[in-house]
Amino acid sequence: MARYIVRRLLTMLLTMILVSMLVFAIVEIAPGNVARNILGAYATPEQEASMSRQLGLTRPVSIRYISWLFGSDWQAKGEIGLPMAQIISEQGLVKNAREWWAVAPNGEHLQWTVEEGKLYKLVLLADGNTEKILDESSWKAGEDGDEYFWGVDTANRAAKWVKGSKDIEYRLDYSGWVESTGAPVEYIPLSKGLIRGDAGVSLRYQAPVSEVIGRRILNSFILAALAIVVSIPTAVILGLIAGLNEGKLIDRIISIGGLITAGSPDFATGILLIMVFAIWLKVLPGAAVFTSADALWKNPNLLVLPVLTASLVEIGYVLRITRSSVVEVMNSPYVRTAILKGLTYRQVVTRHVLRNAMMAPITVIMLHVNWFIGGLVVVESVFGYPGLGSFILNAALFKDVYSIEAGAMVLILLAVGTQLIADLIYSLVNPRIRYS
Amino acid sequence: MATENISMTKSTSRFVLTLRGIWKGLQELAELIFASPTAVIGLVVVLAWVFVAIFAPLITTYSPLEQDYKNINQKPTAAHVLGTDNLGRDVWTRVAYGARTILSLGPISVFVAFLIGLALGLPAGYYQGWVDELIMRILDALMAFPTILLYMIIISAVGASPFNVVIAIAIGGAPGIARLVRALTMDIRTREYVAAAKLRGDSDIMIMLREILPNSRGPLIVDFLLRIGYAAFYIGTLGFLGLGLPPPTPDWGGMVQEGHGRMSANIWPVLSATMAIVTLVIGLNMFADGLREESMRYQ
Amino acid sequence: MDDSSPILSVKNLAVTYKTRKRDIDAVRDVSFDIYRGENLGLVGESGCGKSTAAYSIVNFLGPNGRVKSGEILFKGEQLRNRSEADLRKLRGADISMVYQEPMSALNPSMQIRDQLAESLIAHRGFNQKDAFAESLEALRKVYMPDAEGVMQRYPHQLSGGQQQRVLIAMAMLNNPSLLIMDEPTTALDVTVEAAVLDLIAELQKKYNTATLYISHNLGVVARVSDKVAVMYAGEIVELAPTREIFHNPMHPYTMGLMRCLPDVDAPKGTRTLHPIEGRVPSPANLPAGCIFAPRCQHAEPECLAGHPHLKEISPGHQVRCFRAWDWTAVKENWKTEDLVPLKESCPDRNGNTEENVLNVKNAKVYYPVPFKTVGGLFGMEKRSYVRASDDVSFSVKRGRTLGIVGESGCGKSTIAKAIVGLEPLFGGQIDFLNVDVSKPLNKRGIDTIRDLQMVFQDPNGVLNPSYSVGDQIAFSLRRFGTVPPDQIRAEVERLLQAVKLDESYYNRLPRQLSGGEKQRVGIARAISTNPAMVVCDEPVSALDVSVQAAVLNLLLEIQNTRNTTMILISHDLSSVRFFADEVAVMYLGHIMEIGSCESIFQPPNHPYTTALLAAVPRADPDAPHSNIRLSGHVPSAVKPPSGCKFNTRCPFKIGAICEQEEPSKRDMGAGHLIYCHLTPEDLKNKII
Repeated sequence: MARYIVRRLLTMLLTMILVSMLVFAIVEIAPGNVARNILGAYATPEQEASMSRQLGLTRPVSIRYISWLFGSDWQAKGEIGLPMAQIISEQGLVKNAREWWAVAPNGEHLQWTVEEGKLYKLVLLADGNTEKILDESSWKAGEDGDEYFWGVDTANRAAKWVKGSKDIEYRLDYSGWVESTGAPVEYIPLSKGLIRGDAGVSLRYQAPVSEVIGRRILNSFILAALAIVVSIPTAVILGLIAGLNEGKLIDRIISIGGLITAGSPDFATGILLIMVFAIWLKVLPGAAVFTSADALWKNPNLLVLPVLTASLVEIGYVLRITRSSVVEVMNSPYVRTAILKGLTYRQVVTRHVLRNAMMAPITVIMLHVNWFIGGLVVVESVFGYPGLGSFILNAALFKDVYSIEAGAMVLILLAVGTQLIADLIYSLVNPRIRYS
Repeated sequence: MATENISMTKSTSRFVLTLRGIWKGLQELAELIFASPTAVIGLVVVLAWVFVAIFAPLITTYSPLEQDYKNINQKPTAAHVLGTDNLGRDVWTRVAYGARTILSLGPISVFVAFLIGLALGLPAGYYQGWVDELIMRILDALMAFPTILLYMIIISAVGASPFNVVIAIAIGGAPGIARLVRALTMDIRTREYVAAAKLRGDSDIMIMLREILPNSRGPLIVDFLLRIGYAAFYIGTLGFLGLGLPPPTPDWGGMVQEGHGRMSANIWPVLSATMAIVTLVIGLNMFADGLREESMRYQ
Repeated sequence: MDDSSPILSVKNLAVTYKTRKRDIDAVRDVSFDIYRGENLGLVGESGCGKSTAAYSIVNFLGPNGRVKSGEILFKGEQLRNRSEADLRKLRGADISMVYQEPMSALNPSMQIRDQLAESLIAHRGFNQKDAFAESLEALRKVYMPDAEGVMQRYPHQLSGGQQQRVLIAMAMLNNPSLLIMDEPTTALDVTVEAAVLDLIAELQKKYNTATLYISHNLGVVARVSDKVAVMYAGEIVELAPTREIFHNPMHPYTMGLMRCLPDVDAPKGTRTLHPIEGRVPSPANLPAGCIFAPRCQHAEPECLAGHPHLKEISPGHQVRCFRAWDWTAVKENWKTEDLVPLKESCPDRNGNTEENVLNVKNAKVYYPVPFKTVGGLFGMEKRSYVRASDDVSFSVKRGRTLGIVGESGCGKSTIAKAIVGLEPLFGGQIDFLNVDVSKPLNKRGIDTIRDLQMVFQDPNGVLNPSYSVGDQIAFSLRRFGTVPPDQIRAEVERLLQAVKLDESYYNRLPRQLSGGEKQRVGIARAISTNPAMVVCDEPVSALDVSVQAAVLNLLLEIQNTRNTTMILISHDLSSVRFFADEVAVMYLGHIMEIGSCESIFQPPNHPYTTALLAAVPRADPDAPHSNIRLSGHVPSAVKPPSGCKFNTRCPFKIGAICEQEEPSKRDMGAGHLIYCHLTPEDLKNKII
């Protein structure tokens, strides 16, 4: 059993590694340049090339993948020779912005900048301001005779300056394009990497993705949990009733109902529910747009239609699986044994049918988790519910790459993790797995 | 000359054989369908939409893109049986042309998905071992994606177009098909007629195509039909999410997306498109499902 | 209630099933009585309504079945039209059942003790503790090894024989008056079957339970039953005391069943089998008149016109045949008729060439076991193997048959597949026609492939359902270029004729064929290339007995006319005796004994062979039965026991040497080799 769990965990790990490669490949290497997505259609080729360098897109794909997943600060540390630190700054335009600094042996936090060919060192002061000090002595001699310097620049990148370089850096600021000469020849955008909780800065929200995503995950979790609590027991009971009355009228009604709710696309179900309850009957809100962070607690009504929509599809699906499983078990030889043992119908059902009939649905529900999560994305977007799904959708529509990547990885991790848990529950229910 | 003759007769007899096989298969299929009321109802609904799609220009009086600013957001009238949308376009016309979109893209994407699924599933199930292991790990990773998420990131990376929608849906569907094909192959490859084919020295490809594929057709046909339902489901959903066909293409999901913010003012475009997708998807599901149940009963 | 009235009395029972088109009478006019302590055997081929008749007693016929007419009297009380609540009190208490597939008859997710105890709790109101104690006692009564341990286990942790013992214990829990056993040993290996039959016979004697015993196997019924009823297409055609029916069968169908059985005591070439032509009619499509008339050799016009009733012709002996009285002359030699050598003259088996067509030397077929730990994937776990066939050596002479026998899992099929190239060889060498063929199919020459063909076991898997019969045979002809393309059709028809099928079969699809017909097409396909050797892997085990005979006759005829060398893989010693010249007995991947058929089938032989022979149920109630039984079950082929592989179950084990040393071969002369530590003297007079 322990061996089984370890094995499953390792497969899950392998799957997640492959998934991360796929996500990275689709989002960052697929046709359609990330830099161009950010810059829009009117950037000049020079501006685009500069932007690509700044984003580290010119670095080899394998290095970019590793940086994305495991961070790049340790790579930069190797070049700069000083440890890196990420601190939260109260200043600047971006709220709670995380800034990278190099930490000198004496404990000073340092950044560098090159202005008019001269290298300056920026020392962080206690009040959050910086002191700018000329640091021309730090240039190092390169192998080809040039003088160069590796340091942290003011935009969270490790950068390599070459003395006397005439390169131009184009930067898109709130005011428009900013040009500066003497730009670094090489950049390493600094991040801790996805695994260490740093998913980069959202291009859309101009805030760290990890910060935006946290609340969204919680909202989605509430929605999903409620939907599961509503749908699974309902579905199992309905499926059981239908299966035990195979071929009778009640079975027909339940089965056809299940076919309809399972077959309708989530958005269509949601729209129809809004029409009936919000527009026609006017008893429930048709949207779940949060006006404040605690809107859910103030007005739980917001949740009714989203939960109902997410549940209906799931109910239809699970009840059909449960029903066919019950029918199959009812016709099995061991149920025949139980009946011919002289047990009452009730005993046969509770002792012999239930447990065995639940095994098939568990595996199928397990495989269905992805479907359910996909459904949540749609439900959130129907109702404008601020969850993880609508976050990813908006990121996709806005081409906010870091948000897409992080959101996708979190969503898949949740899906795969849920499957793992379901798998473990299944192995507990099924003695064939438990004792092998 | 003589050898040419031989190969001629060979190929013609092979051709006749396949034709006969297809005819027999169709007959069996018809028998199955008519044995199941569910399948018949589903088929009627689906055929009705196919009819609408084919004859869209004949059963509508407007063009799907024609805007009429004098008649926006109309309720159903004799001139506009399902009313007009916020740009004054006739809703019924857009629904009818939308049927064309969904009924052409759906089967095409499932077909592409099947080609990929067969190409991966047959060797995985037949050879097993490391070939299987490699293919399955990749498929596992793809299947770890919630389908909608996969579509979202693919479409956001490559942009929305009919071709890209087909590609996205094919990539999303292929792993499931490959798994099914693999399972069927693993079962059939142990049958003794496969051993018999090996004992006449047939090549692996020959065995996969002549012995295994024809005998997995039953479940594959049912799966194909079910997947057309899913494809319609997802094409609608992508349209609704704003990741489907770019406007102003008539697309049911897109119609819901455009109108859903204005529902309290004008419910008709949204209601019509919603009902259209619901009936089509449920019709497809009922057809495939009835067929599956009936074919299971035969076993 | 005294012993003179029957426990169960079934009178004119008719059972009907609703189908989409119309109602079908699956059982008609069935009557029998079972008395206290009596065992009635209900025999017949598959689909003749035996199980339906049995399940109608407890009214368990599914949603579509119902008892249409007749009476079912249990201890004098009518069971028909009783409420479910009434029946429930009887089921599992006074009437209980044992089923065919023990594995699926037990709830997979419930411990054995709970499955046993609930019957006591339901019927006798025991509390759980007493119920467990009583259940344990019941397991001991059926000689369950490690009964305490078994109580806590789940069904999948038990062997087939143990599962069946659990079901028998469950059936006996409430001391039933009537026990219904539905093919209880059919799914079991022959040695396990023998032990279960011993148990059934013993319990029968001890508890005097009335038993209805359903089986398709005449030998099994001869072993356990007091009375036998033979069913055919839904009707009882003959009912008589066991000895009477075996020695003096009156119905042509009963006689046919007995004459088509190969006899384990009759050597090859001494007799031919008499298959019953045609097939059992489906209950939806019964012939008018006597239902057996279309297949009866002795049918007269009157048989086709009227439907005979069951009539008593001597006390306790009832027959459903118009002609049972007037054909004593025909009957006189019903068994000895044609007990002459085969119609075609048999090639001289002694003077034949000594050329070896096939030489197998130390062949090993191992399958790697999937790694259990993660470390295994990185080479940290020692790879272990299922040793399906280990160190197997034998040779086959031209025109002869080598029979390979053994129970399931002994590796006989594996070695067959390795010979034809369907399984890779792990070690050793196989020479065929002096060519080294120790390699898989795709590395063998086309001539070798053509010369070495195979006949398969499962009639339903043998033909590709997508192609017509003719096409499938033609595939081979085309592939090997056996005949010019314009003669393919003629050649296929000739081959169909050779397997006794007419040319109308050319265009038929496999699903339109019966099991026996499919098997014939499989044989036609195998011989289409005119191979030097055909390996037959259990060619008849999935067929009904009357059809088995026809297929065995066909194989023998093919061998005699074409001088084909054959290997017959079988678990059935009788068909091996019928068809093989030499026999290899396999156990756990090893050959235990090999030699001519005559030398194997009588002492001195290997203890395992002795046990196998002792276990064969003989269709003769007076056959002496040996009490040599095997205990335990077959060890795992991943970790086979050290020393002699058979030592864990051998009834003649002499001591430590059996566990420590692998026995070397003992040459008993004339190519008869025995792998055993016993001396030739002991091998001859085995005493436990």
